[in-house]
Amino acid sequence: MKKSVNRQIAQVHLTSKWGQTVVAILGVTFGVSIYIFMNSFMNGVNKTQDDMAFTSMSHIRIYNEDNVHPFNPVQSFYNSSQTLFNIRNRKSIQYSDGIKNTLGIISFLEKQNEVTNVACHLDFSVFFRSGSKKINGLISGVEVANEDKIFNDSQKVIQGNWFDLNYRKSGIILGKVLAENLGVKVNDNINILTSDGISKNLLVVGIIETSIKEVDKSKAYINIASARQILSKNQDYASDILVNIKDKEKTEPLIKRIVPVIPYQVESWQVANQQLVAMTQIRNILAIAVSLAILLVAGFGIYNIMNMTINEKIKEIAILKAMGFSGGDIKTIFLSQAVIIGIVGDILGVLLGYFISMSVNQVPFEIAGLKTLPIQFSVEDFILAIAFGVITTLLAGYFPASKASKIDPVNIIRG
Amino acid sequence: MENTSLKVKNLIKYFHDPTTFQVLKGVSIDVNKGEFLSIVGKSGSGKSTLLYVLSTMDTDYEGTLEINGNILTGKSQNELSTFRNEHIGFVFQFHYLLPEFTCLQNIMIPALKLGKFSPEEIEQKAYESLRLLDLEDHALKKANKLSGGQQQRVAIARALINSPSVIMGDEPTGNLDSLNARAVQDIFKELAKSYGQTIICVTHDNDFARNTDRTIEMKDGLIIN
Ligand SMILES: Nc1ncnc2c1ncn2[C@@H]1O[C@H](COP(=O)(O)OP(=O)(O)OP(=O)(O)O)[C@@H](O)[C@H]1O
Ligand SMILES: [Mg+2]
Repeated sequence: MKKSVNRQIAQVHLTSKWGQTVVAILGVTFGVSIYIFMNSFMNGVNKTQDDMAFTSMSHIRIYNEDNVHPFNPVQSFYNSSQTLFNIRNRKSIQYSDGIKNTLGIISFLEKQNEVTNVACHLDFSVFFRSGSKKINGLISGVEVANEDKIFNDSQKVIQGNWFDLNYRKSGIILGKVLAENLGVKVNDNINILTSDGISKNLLVVGIIETSIKEVDKSKAYINIASARQILSKNQDYASDILVNIKDKEKTEPLIKRIVPVIPYQVESWQVANQQLVAMTQIRNILAIAVSLAILLVAGFGIYNIMNMTINEKIKEIAILKAMGFSGGDIKTIFLSQAVIIGIVGDILGVLLGYFISMSVNQVPFEIAGLKTLPIQFSVEDFILAIAFGVITTLLAGYFPASKASKIDPVNIIRG
Repeated sequence: MENTSLKVKNLIKYFHDPTTFQVLKGVSIDVNKGEFLSIVGKSGSGKSTLLYVLSTMDTDYEGTLEINGNILTGKSQNELSTFRNEHIGFVFQFHYLLPEFTCLQNIMIPALKLGKFSPEEIEQKAYESLRLLDLEDHALKKANKLSGGQQQRVAIARALINSPSVIMGDEPTGNLDSLNARAVQDIFKELAKSYGQTIICVTHDNDFARNTDRTIEMKDGLIIN
């Protein structure tokens, strides 16, 4: 009963000054909606960027880098400081390149339960030749089915069929621009020439289009078995092993576990693409900074309005106190006004934020495989937006309300 | 002494702004239950100041205040506001209503706050007082849309709503025509006689004072009569 009087009074205060109430509510609404929009937009951009990046990159890559060995046998033999020595024209002799025992590594990786897909690659650079055309590029020898599981290549093949690589041992799938530049179509023949001088004729069985132009211009795919044959490597050989895991953010723990077991370089996508991670983080910070700034401004707006209201109503507060309302009652009256402003502003803000985001999602933006500007909603953003809206109004309302609760009625009523 | 409703002993009060100035210089009064008391005196003699102390709103004084056997001197603001809500009805010299609320709401608020009766019962009671004060037609008007005299009568109705044991008025009929003033006075008299409520009114109106049970006169912060 007591509560309902306070609430009734709060309600009259809110409704008798509609203009002010609406301004305060709109402040919260804009803050919350911009928060939702900014974060959904940034999430959309991040997701697009990731999607794009992960068309040609796995979560973890295992490879054998041709290290420059600092080992110096002369120095280790004559290890006295009295000796001066000088080696000219030093060359490192390559002992190993590529991964030799892929089967063992793959079966080990497949036992890790966060691993979803593993695929071997054998990449090498070649000249593509067709007639008088000669274009420098890269061939990936792939495990057709596994590769598709990681990169979804079969969806990107615009002519022919990805899985034809499985049984056409001399088949090749060319990037779209590369095929155009070579002037070849499906079922045409092309010739390739490796750096070791091996030449081979291959049959074009498909054309692939990714969202990355650089790839389309220079890359082609063949079956890994054919690649091993061309390079005269054994059946266990690969240049890279690509691994995808359940949650791409959680590469760290798996890498810690497998590094001691695998005698090659193991690299997560975060390490390989630090600029990608940095851009994502910068965008997230930007989104949060902008929306918090707006909420801060909204908070100041509410604080001002509440302060003004309390100065205007100082006589009425004194009367309420004279009639028996306690400081706590007065605080409740004004805080509940802030809470109502916060809740209504929040609800409208969520709706408006959703609406703005959906509208932006309709804006055409036909670059890099996109059709419209990207938007990606997440429940977390909505919850945070609502929480920030309520917290801002509560803080903004708290100080004026406690000031009001401390008013001494007699000084005001005496006039 | 059970019959005493309100009792102050040796009340002294200073104002410090702009210079220290003694407004009340040792006031002692006993008021009985059901007594209708009037306080008269020249402007500036300290009547309002005394009434604010008696109403428990002003706590910055020396001396003791006792109402219905409760010593109120030294109690906290929150205890005092609870006490006021139930036991004291007050009509201010400048009738202060809540302007955004209707007359009816203004009258009902102290009772809703007390929470002793249901809102329906309170509304019924409020309508009764409005009828008694000839304000029925204005019940749903906003308080700031009323004339001065009408506002004063609403303030009186509000002071009565919780049937307080002490009703205090600072010139409660100052803005009323003689007919309405008479009506208010009759209501007060009736409340004192039939319900044993104590009435203390500051007034400049000699007719009003003559019609009360007892009149005390103040001069320069002292009771002289
Ligand atoms: N807040 C204040 N600060 C300082 N002095 C005050 C204050 N309020 C009143 N006074 C002084 O105290 C004295 C008593 O004032 P009070 O209001 O009690 O007079 P009153 O008897 O009610 O007069 P009136 O009949 O005009 O209402 C006056 O001299 C006044 O100037
Ligand atoms: Mg006065």
